[in-house]
Amino acid sequence: MTPAPPLSTPVRPRWLSVVGLLGFVAMGFTVWLGLWITPPDEVQGNLARLLYIHPPIATVALYWAGGVALAGSLLYLWPRTRSFFWDRLAAAAVEVGAVFSALTLVTGSLWGRPVWGVWWTWDARLTSTALLLLLELGYLALRRVPADPAIRARRCAVAAILIAIDVPIVHFSVDWWQTLHQGGTILDPGFALHVHGSMLWTMGIGFLAFTLIFVWLLGVRYRVEVLQDEVGDQELEVSLAERWSEDTALAGVGGPAGSGASAGSGPFDAGSPS
Amino acid sequence: MSYVDAGYVAALGVLFIYGVSLVLRRRRWERAARASGAAPAPTDGVVPGSHP
Repeated sequence: MTPAPPLSTPVRPRWLSVVGLLGFVAMGFTVWLGLWITPPDEVQGNLARLLYIHPPIATVALYWAGGVALAGSLLYLWPRTRSFFWDRLAAAAVEVGAVFSALTLVTGSLWGRPVWGVWWTWDARLTSTALLLLLELGYLALRRVPADPAIRARRCAVAAILIAIDVPIVHFSVDWWQTLHQGGTILDPGFALHVHGSMLWTMGIGFLAFTLIFVWLLGVRYRVEVLQDEVGDQELEVSLAERWSEDTALAGVGGPAGSGASAGSGPFDAGSPS
Repeated sequence: MSYVDAGYVAALGVLFIYGVSLVLRRRRWERAARASGAAPAPTDGVVPGSHP
């Protein structure tokens, strides 16, 4: 028996495992500092502890995931840099970004209920963030539509650019429309800090933790995307070859395919295998 | 459970479940790739710009 052939791409790069481990440790510190070490806020009391995770999650969803998706899509569309690497990276970023966008809405809602008195309101920041999540889900749905890989990649790149258009809208929504959501949590428009002392560095570790976790998730999701393409293409070729050989054999013995009864009747029409 | 606890549980719980699901998906696809002897994915390793 011959050994299984090696996979075409590195299975688990060591740097990614290190990033995941560091992210796990940093997350542990964030929870420890955020829930037990930092003092309650003067105004919000213990509810301010949610701000050690909500802004970092929103930052990942908006800037890191949105940035990677946009960069990957533009680099795919640009002829000189066109490669499926960029398409797959963008797809991985959008899926991970959708998880973080959903968490942004959930943690924001859990903070908004006791502070604002409502779970949800049609505030500009909340609405544009919900739109971001919907656009990301639309991208993921578009990616599942069967198509030639190059056509799918081009469609998805355009969809990712539409997602990216929403990112500055989310960012500037608190400045453009005076609705319920407050302005910058950490910096005001003049770049003056709103957070100090142990609260500041706890939030900083939170940003680091969620960023590292994002990079790890992105790496694993990218690997899944590569494998899906490899195995999916292989399975399609095997199915087509099997269908071809079946129809050829039937035609050889004068079966139904030979009489034209089944020609063009299946999803992989033997008459047009490409 | 307070709102703060619920927020931490939701965030960390979802990320943990998503991370585990990704690792399981990766393992499943790696097994499938080994079983089928999958060829490299299209244009892997191709110089950017050479794809039509």
